[in-house]
Formats: sequence, C-alpha cells, structure tokens
Amino acid sequence: MIRNRGARNRLILELCLLAWALVVLVPFYMILVNAFKDTGEAGRFGLGLPSEWKWDNFSVVFQKGKILRGYMNSALIAGCTLVLASLSAALASFSIQRNNRRFTNFIYYLFVLGLVIPVALIPTIKLMMSLHIHNTYPGMVMYYSAVLLPFSVFLLTGFLKTVTRELDDSAIIDGCGPIRMFAIVILPLLKPVMVTACLFIVMSVWNDFMGPFYLLSDSSKWTVTVSVFSYVNQFGTHWNLVFADILIVITPVLVFYFFLQEHIVEGMTAGAVKG
Amino acid sequence: MKTYARYPLYFIVPAFLLYAVLFIYPTVAGFWYSFTDWSSYSKEISFIGLENFKRLFTEGVMQTAIKNTLIYAVAVTIAVNAVGLTLALMLNERTMLGSFYRTAFFIPVVIASIIVGYIFMAILNPDYGILNKTLRGIGLDALAMNWLLDTHTAIWSIIGTEVWKSAGFAMIIYLSGLKTIPRDLIEQAQVDGARYMSRFRHIVFPLLAPAFTVNFLLTVINSLKVFEIVFVLTGGGPGYATEVINTFVYRNFAKGMWGYATSASIMLTLIVSIVAVSLLIVLRRREIEL
Repeated sequence: MIRNRGARNRLILELCLLAWALVVLVPFYMILVNAFKDTGEAGRFGLGLPSEWKWDNFSVVFQKGKILRGYMNSALIAGCTLVLASLSAALASFSIQRNNRRFTNFIYYLFVLGLVIPVALIPTIKLMMSLHIHNTYPGMVMYYSAVLLPFSVFLLTGFLKTVTRELDDSAIIDGCGPIRMFAIVILPLLKPVMVTACLFIVMSVWNDFMGPFYLLSDSSKWTVTVSVFSYVNQFGTHWNLVFADILIVITPVLVFYFFLQEHIVEGMTAGAVKG
Repeated sequence: MKTYARYPLYFIVPAFLLYAVLFIYPTVAGFWYSFTDWSSYSKEISFIGLENFKRLFTEGVMQTAIKNTLIYAVAVTIAVNAVGLTLALMLNERTMLGSFYRTAFFIPVVIASIIVGYIFMAILNPDYGILNKTLRGIGLDALAMNWLLDTHTAIWSIIGTEVWKSAGFAMIIYLSGLKTIPRDLIEQAQVDGARYMSRFRHIVFPLLAPAFTVNFLLTVINSLKVFEIVFVLTGGGPGYATEVINTFVYRNFAKGMWGYATSASIMLTLIVSIVAVSLLIVLRRREIEL
C-alpha cells in the first residue's frame, strides 16, 4: 500500500518534470522547423516537418538582416567591456575590501545602489553627446562598463573576503609595490570569480536591448539584439525569415551555454547566492 | 593612513570615475531634467517646477502604467517563485533525468527578452499559435482566446511569458538553497513520521529563507523595470491595457518630450527604491524570526 503510493508519487513527479520540459523546449523546436518552411507554411506555426526544406531562408536573412554586422558589433562591444569592467572592478574591489574603512565602504554602497536603481537612459544620451561619445563604440563600452560595474564589484568584494591577507604580507616583505602585488599575487587568485564576472558581463551585453535601442541612432553600430528588432519591423509577416533570424541569433548563445553551462549558471546566479 | 599606503585609493579611481560619470551623473541629472521642459521642440531647457509631475498625474495614462507595472510585478514575483520552487523541490528528489531537466529549464534565462517576446508572439497567435491549437486539440475551445488583443487577457499573457523565461533562474537559487539543508535532518524527520507537507513547513521552508529573500528581491526589482517583453508583444496596448512605466517613458521619449519622459522614469526610480528597501527590511526580519 505504502510502496504503491510511493511509486505513484514518483510517476506524478516524472510527468510534471516532463511537462515543464515540453513547455520549455517545444517553442525552440517550433522555431527550428518553421525556419525551414516557406512563408505561408511558417505562418501557420505547425510542428510538422517542412513540406519543402527552404535553405535559402538563411541566406536571405544573412543578406538583409545585417546579422554579421550585428555579431561583430556585439562581439566588439562585449569584448572591450569585459576587459575594462572586469579589470577596473577587480582593482577597485581589492582596495575597497582591504581598506574596509568608512570612506571605502561608502563607495562600496554607492556601487551596490547601482544594482537596484534603473539606468537613466535619456539623460545618458545628452551626456554622451556633450562628451562626443554618442554613437561611438567607446561610448557604448563605457556605458556598459558603468552599468555592469556594480554587479562585478559586489561579486569580487565578496570573494576577496575569503582571500587571506597573509599573502599580501608576504608579497610586501618580498618587496612588491601595490601594483605588482595586485598583478602577481591577487589577480591569479581571483581567476574563478573573474570567469564568473566575465560571463555575466558578456551575457548581459549580448542580450541587452534597451541600451543600444536608446543610445545608438547609427544603425551600422547596432548589436545583434537590435538587429533582430529592426529585422522583424521590416519583415514581420514573413515568419519563416523571422524564425531563421532568431535561430541564427540564439544558436551561438545556446552552444556557448551547453559548453560552459556550469560557469554560466554560476555567472548569472552567483551574486544572488553569495549575497 | 597605514592601510591606504598598502592598498592605495587610486586603485578605485578608474572604476569609480566610469561609474560616477556614466551612471551617477545621468541619474542625478535625471532629477533635474524632470523639472524642466527639455524637448525636441525648443533649443533651450528651462525650469518649470512640478509641471511635468502634475501632467503625469492628470493625464491619466501614468496612473494606468503604474497600476499595470505593480500588477505585473506582484503576479510575476508570486508565479516565478511558485514555479521555481516547485521545480527545485522536484529536482531535489532523485529523478530519472535530473541534470537534463536542470539544463533544459535554465535555457530561457540565457535568451534575450526581446527574442522571448517574438517567440511568444508566434505561440500566442489566436488562429495558428501552438497555445490555442493545443487548447482546441484537447477540447477546450472556449479557452482559446485572442490573448494579446483582448484587454483582459493581454497583461496575463505577458506575465505568463515572463514566468516561462524566469522560472529557471529562481529554480537554480532554490536548488542551491536546498543543497545546504543536511539530508540527515530530513531523514530524521521522516523516521519520526513527519509527512512531506509538515517536513516542508517546519524544516525546508525556514531553512530556505535566504533563498526566498534573494529571489523575491530580484524578481520584484527586475519586473518593475520590465520593458522589452511588453514592447514587443503589445506595445502597451490594446489601448493602454498593458502600458507599463517603461513603455510610457519610451512613448514620450519617441515623441520628443524628453523632460516629461524623464519625470516618468524618475517615478520608476522612486518606486523601485521604495519597494526594494521595504521588502529587504521585511524579508530580513522574517529570516531572523524563522
């Protein structure tokens, strides 16, 4: 009797999990099959295989969708932001955590505030114009660095608490100045958490829409998410092309996710778990 | 004195300079612009006192936007946490395909919101979308609605979309909270004859308090800032049925009324700050009590 109930509960559990897995995965399957159909067939969003496989959909999208351009812009901006934000955050967190005084704590809390407060995009446009960095790559890199610094500082400061000061002491006895101590002793110890912060930064830049949507009026600098938006605005009724476009844009993210899964999950949830 | 020499303050300068110029300054400047008539129609920016805020609350749309944003945030927070916690509890049991499910459930979290919006535009299509096709297929024709164009269902469709996207995130945080609960504690309770529900209420739930705090805070803060999904799925419509603060800000920004749009986004900043601080106080207190 009791064993029966156990078996029944097991079955219900497995069925619930399977149901949610279908809810999550069927939409991706829908994109996949419909990206290969012709416009009429794709507009019916059927889950059957295409009656005729339209491989040209992808070449059309590559030509009209400015996807390569979008990829390069996203990669360039994400790459530069990654270097600028993670290094400056590591330097700042080191000084903030080790000094641990009223002034440095105040700066820390200013950073933490940035985790909560929404970004003021409209005033940022005006600021960028007066600094002559509006519609430029350096402008976007600086914007993203500023916006992603709070999380990076938060994460790194938390991690530095677990890095013992004895190593600092021995570095100083060996005659290291502050910069050498940071570069040779501390930075290598930060490696795991830097990986986490970097993946968070890359994913955030790659998936962000509001930033470039407000701040970039020059379409040649649009990142890949904005290019999806402008593509759908132009070809919204051609669902086969829209799905092909979406497929091309999410495939690298998914591949990246499957290979670096543990790190990415860590990157996106670390602040939450450790906070 | 001594420590500043070992750990120099100039280490903070690059990060703080970036943050001060591109984050703090625009935020503070936003407060100033919200009291001005800054727009695309005139070259000069002049101070007009509380005019923008008076207009926000007499035009009526902003009230709708605030109301919708709050409904959205409350519903999303409850639903994301309920689904996330349920998934985490299920995956914490020994199941056949545990790690496959864990991987699968997190996928929507790594996809850009704007793309999730387009995916659901297809799914929620009234004639051919897979949601209505499924409902008709199992004989629930009455439930197959015009999800995004009906004023009553539109906001709930958007909420459902967000739950699909974010439940996996909450799940991971609950799972890592569950991992910290010692197995013997639960086994002991099992030996003592405690049923699943009472084990959950008296052991699991209190020990999950920190995970609850984090999940509630993050979902509330993020969902108050919602933009992409609403923008793509309904654009705030039909009428203003799904207008949220950020779509209202964009609508006015696009019209060239920059000062007015900024005053609306200042309202969002205030709401987010007040909600976050009060929630943090309440949840922390609850954590200590438990």
